[in-house]
Amino acid sequence: MAAEAIERYTADVIILGAGGAGLRAALAIAMRQPAARIALISKVYPMRSHTVAAEGGAAGVTQSHDSLDAHFHDTVSGGDWLCEQDVVAYFVEHAHEELVQLEHWGCPWSRTGDGRAAVRAFGGMAIERTWFAADRTGFHMLHTLFQTSIRYPSIQRFDEHFCVDLVIDDGRVQGVLAVEIASGEFRLIAAKALIIATGGAGRVFRDNTNGGIVTGDGMALAYRHGVPLRDMEFVQYHPTCMPGTGLLFTEACRGEGGFLLNSEGYRYLQDYGLGPASAEPRNKAMELGPRDRLSQAFWHESRKGRTLHGPHGEYVHLDLRHLGERKLRERLPQIRELALTYLGIDPARAPVPVLPAVHYTMGGILADGRTAAPLAGLYSAGECSSVGIHGANRLGSNSLTELLVFGKVAGEQALAFAQGVGHGAPARLGALAEASRAAALEPLQRTGSGERLATLRNELTRTMQEGCGIYRSAPSLEATCARLAQLRQAWHGAQLDDRSRSWNTEWLALLELGFQLDVAQAMAHAALARRESRGAHQRLDAGCTERDDALFLKHSLAYHDPAGGPPRIEWSPVTITRSAPGTRVYGAAAERAGVTLHA
Amino acid sequence: MSGAPAVRRPYYRRMGRWWQRDPFFRRYMWREATALAVLAYALVLTLGIVCLALGEAAWQVWLAALRSPASLALHAALLAAMVLHTKTWFEIMPKTMPMIFVGERRLAATTITRCGWAAAAIATLALLALAAGWRP
Amino acid sequence: MPEPARAAARSITLEVLRYRPEIEAAPVWQSYVVPFSEDLSVLQALQHVKDELDGSLSFRWSCRMAICGSCGMMIDGRPRLACQTFLRELLPGPVRLEALAHWPIQRDLVIDASGFIAGLERIKPYLIPRQPRPLAAGEYRQSPHELELFEPYSACINCLLCYAACPQFGLDPGFTGPGLLALLHRYNADSRDGGRAQRMAAVNAEHGVWSCTAVGYCSEVCPKAVDPAHAVNQNKVNSAIDYLRHLLAPRGAPP
Repeated sequence: MAAEAIERYTADVIILGAGGAGLRAALAIAMRQPAARIALISKVYPMRSHTVAAEGGAAGVTQSHDSLDAHFHDTVSGGDWLCEQDVVAYFVEHAHEELVQLEHWGCPWSRTGDGRAAVRAFGGMAIERTWFAADRTGFHMLHTLFQTSIRYPSIQRFDEHFCVDLVIDDGRVQGVLAVEIASGEFRLIAAKALIIATGGAGRVFRDNTNGGIVTGDGMALAYRHGVPLRDMEFVQYHPTCMPGTGLLFTEACRGEGGFLLNSEGYRYLQDYGLGPASAEPRNKAMELGPRDRLSQAFWHESRKGRTLHGPHGEYVHLDLRHLGERKLRERLPQIRELALTYLGIDPARAPVPVLPAVHYTMGGILADGRTAAPLAGLYSAGECSSVGIHGANRLGSNSLTELLVFGKVAGEQALAFAQGVGHGAPARLGALAEASRAAALEPLQRTGSGERLATLRNELTRTMQEGCGIYRSAPSLEATCARLAQLRQAWHGAQLDDRSRSWNTEWLALLELGFQLDVAQAMAHAALARRESRGAHQRLDAGCTERDDALFLKHSLAYHDPAGGPPRIEWSPVTITRSAPGTRVYGAAAERAGVTLHA
Repeated sequence: MSGAPAVRRPYYRRMGRWWQRDPFFRRYMWREATALAVLAYALVLTLGIVCLALGEAAWQVWLAALRSPASLALHAALLAAMVLHTKTWFEIMPKTMPMIFVGERRLAATTITRCGWAAAAIATLALLALAAGWRP
Repeated sequence: MPEPARAAARSITLEVLRYRPEIEAAPVWQSYVVPFSEDLSVLQALQHVKDELDGSLSFRWSCRMAICGSCGMMIDGRPRLACQTFLRELLPGPVRLEALAHWPIQRDLVIDASGFIAGLERIKPYLIPRQPRPLAAGEYRQSPHELELFEPYSACINCLLCYAACPQFGLDPGFTGPGLLALLHRYNADSRDGGRAQRMAAVNAEHGVWSCTAVGYCSEVCPKAVDPAHAVNQNKVNSAIDYLRHLLAPRGAPP
């Protein structure tokens, strides 16, 4: 194919991904240094980014009887002590001001009667500190950030541009190569720093709450260039999702007082150290326990034969009937609408079928407490990043705040870096971009008879679900790792129906599948190497069913093998400042512990 | 950028007979057409005033014309159009008003529409009663 | 439809208006037969086509839960979100799918929405505070009542269904249109905002509210009950008042 010239653009900082974290980073740079040129690249229009789907809220210490210390301890114990404690301390300190900042930008937070921002209860949080905008919090945050960004002319957007590779020269990031989706044309955007803010990778699992775009692109791009992915074995299941589609019923359903019932109509969580069962919602107890515990309880109920069965498999009931129609309309309008439209169920009249589905990737691109990767000029923020606040299990409503707090940090850090270096040599960048383009175009030129894209993708999500799900074991993980290696081979032969360039979503989906395979391998191999159970990573094989701080109070680091082999897993220490590893307690035990703490 | 590349060739569809595309658009066109009926009846009345100004003979001619079968048919058609006009006019009315609150609750659009219809009905009945000789 | 017919529906035909700029000079209809089930959405049916029958069919989608606003299209002639429209509502078929009306087709079911994005930049869709407010001052006080005055208009997901329902936009693509005017009103109606005067130019302009003829279909098709027709037509009153104010007190008028 005759190579057309690659169109070139130049910026000071590139931000890859225009969801909550990317937009917050762009705003941080634009406000700090109006002369800095920002290239904001996204494969969808910014308001389509998956931040839009977050429902419940964003945590920040707000009430006078709450404290930064309490938020810190909830987060660290929720993360099963695998959090970077200095980073968590920074996070909780800056959470509230970021929520206020968003309010100043116009976010329609729900209000108390006297006009202040209202807070609601959330799983694993000892005190109500979750700001919310009805049950469309992520939607409102994203639109507020996007609309505010329009104010700043220094932010040049590349909407609907698909990034195929990073351009790395002289030991630092110098730009990215992206395809304009509408034309299929390549563009080289050169810059002095890059922030990756591309979100998670939940689509590697069959049952997931994520949008189709959540394919781990940024994680894989950094990983392929030698940046390790940290703690990838920790994948969060959300306990209340819709059978079949995996669509999410927010944790706020339980914060507002919803019950989880098994096939006998029994609030089974009381059997798993989360009780006693009280009629009113109590923080850190029963339905307001952390997500990993609730999802694991579902698995056990299934083993006991106490789940219900429907066309899409097993489920339990989320009972909201006692909240009444008025409260459902006022506080959970989107949930009511989802249940009515998709299931034909009015939650005021009937219980809603739910099951756990993959929701969030705790791990991600290795980042220090200031979002920098171990590659000069590279920063990351949001779900794609492992800055270290979630540990082995994320608490609901910490991630929306994370977008803001670390989006801002990433913006400021990347700007500072960009101000200290120059642009690379254009000819060298051009040569690198040519090579990346050839690799990206290769699938369009294949001949032969390989598998269909969907066949490979379905097989990927099936093997991840089966071997790397809520509970794992060495045999299940080994089988998944082997299958992933086969799929990687098959990927190189996969055939496309579509050879055109304008809006060829089949081609882009194949490139995404390549990213997904990389991320899935990092997840499965890290899970196999972690021979213990901690937070969202639970193993069933002998010797691995308990937490093992002596051997595994460590972060896993997955390194890509350029030769195409399995990732190499290494370990790094966890920063512990003031909370020594203890036992995670919820329900009545947590209340007793709380009394002792405050006595 | 130097000219749009060949693969960026957006296709523009035509708007010909767009009002036939959707029942909602057809209803909209009927609604708008009723404004012509309002105009037509305004002309009928204006003509009456002109005849009145011209004197007794002209006025009688106008009254006779009103009683003709053609005029009666026209009036029936205009009345039907006017009823439709009134119905749809009040249906649109809430869209043109700021939000109204009674206490803490927002007044529903349907309530505003029904109030409009009720007012129109009362006014019509009062007018008919006055024409029939009733005096308050 | 009667129950037996429903039970008999094991498959359903989709007729999709296809346009590939590198292949077709003008759009053509193409049929696909997909298996039917009660809980299958139009989006899932399209995904089935793409995965199993024809990988070259292009459409936008992401969240699957009617919040990202990507998958708007004409479904049996009406603008709807594919993810929350179910085949069971469209029996017995065939179901006709076409890119959103009034927008240029980029390819297949994908419209060229760049006009909307350009418009977004014209209406100043961000809070313009009366005076700067430091973070230390904390949040603005805003009563639930004040929130209610703009909250419905802030629920717009930019799915562009309202534009496909607006013949005025179809006839004049320069019209700012229902979605953007509703968003403009959202900021004007926010008690924290002081930017109304700056936005009135866009309201008053030839392509502002006066291009609206109150068809009202925009509010019918809105999947989030934003009621853009209400936002637009309220602003006709505001625009008229603004005009009179300029007429009567030109010097006292806002900049």
